[in-house]
Amino acid sequence: MPNEQTTVPLFVAAEVLTAADMNLSAGTGVPVFANTTTRDAGFGGAGEKVLAEGQLCYLSDSNIVQYYSGASWATVGPASAGGLVYITQATFSAVNTVSINNCFSATYSNYFLTIETTAAVVDGNVTGRLRLSGTDSTTNYAGQRIGGEAGSAFATTNPSGTDDVTFGAIQAATATSYALTTTILCPALARATNWLTLTGTNGNNGTIVQFCWNTHSTATAYDGITINYSGTSFTGTIRVYGYANS
Amino acid sequence: MADVLEIDAQTGKTTQRDYNADELAQRAKDEKKLATEAKAKTAKATAKAALLDKLGITADEAALLLS
Repeated sequence: MPNEQTTVPLFVAAEVLTAADMNLSAGTGVPVFANTTTRDAGFGGAGEKVLAEGQLCYLSDSNIVQYYSGASWATVGPASAGGLVYITQATFSAVNTVSINNCFSATYSNYFLTIETTAAVVDGNVTGRLRLSGTDSTTNYAGQRIGGEAGSAFATTNPSGTDDVTFGAIQAATATSYALTTTILCPALARATNWLTLTGTNGNNGTIVQFCWNTHSTATAYDGITINYSGTSFTGTIRVYGYANS
Repeated sequence: MADVLEIDAQTGKTTQRDYNADELAQRAKDEKKLATEAKAKTAKATAKAALLDKLGITADEAALLLS
């Protein structure tokens, strides 16, 4: 029985409802299934409606509404959260270190992190470390940095050693100009984690921009990150987003 | 002023605290590393200035030679 209908019936008191009436009403409603297995088993059997284009259903396990195109099921809604999903943020004031626990999980393979600063006391460097169950990992980092400062190019291998990831410098007088974005690949998977970072600031000797690649070769699934500032303190906001896997 | 802001992304719980013993030791190591790097950077800049002075040319002129 096709889903297309030519009328939306209104039944009146004491009216005899025929099988055809009931089939029309039930067949064009939105049946609710526990999951896709029970959904597929709910059509085409003895005494069951043959699946046809336009059929709707609701799946309890995933809380979505679907329609049947005539060839396959497709999701109507709710709308996807998008490719980049906000996870958390830390707004910090006059601290040396910000640690964010449980921001990495199996839900996403890759992450996007931003740091914006509004103040800093004493010039310093920003660095990062992966973290697991509240403890930072302090070994097996490596990286390469290229950039420019006041018109002169520079390149550095392991710019802050092998015990952390470099995120560039903040000059206290121009802390509001510091900008950082970094993509972190696979921190919560039991394999190496890789980082691609862009930073820039209005430095004491001129504008600075740098591009960094970093890796952390320990094959461990981490659940958090620590951002350190080597100056006296810094103030700002860190936001973490997950890239949807599909 | 607390040393650390710690936040749990799952619960939203935020804690401001001082460094624990391990973190304090790591902070000291980090500061020592940065001091060494700064010293090396200063030494390099001093050596560069001395060489330019010895050659009697400016940094811009040296850059021109190398371009």
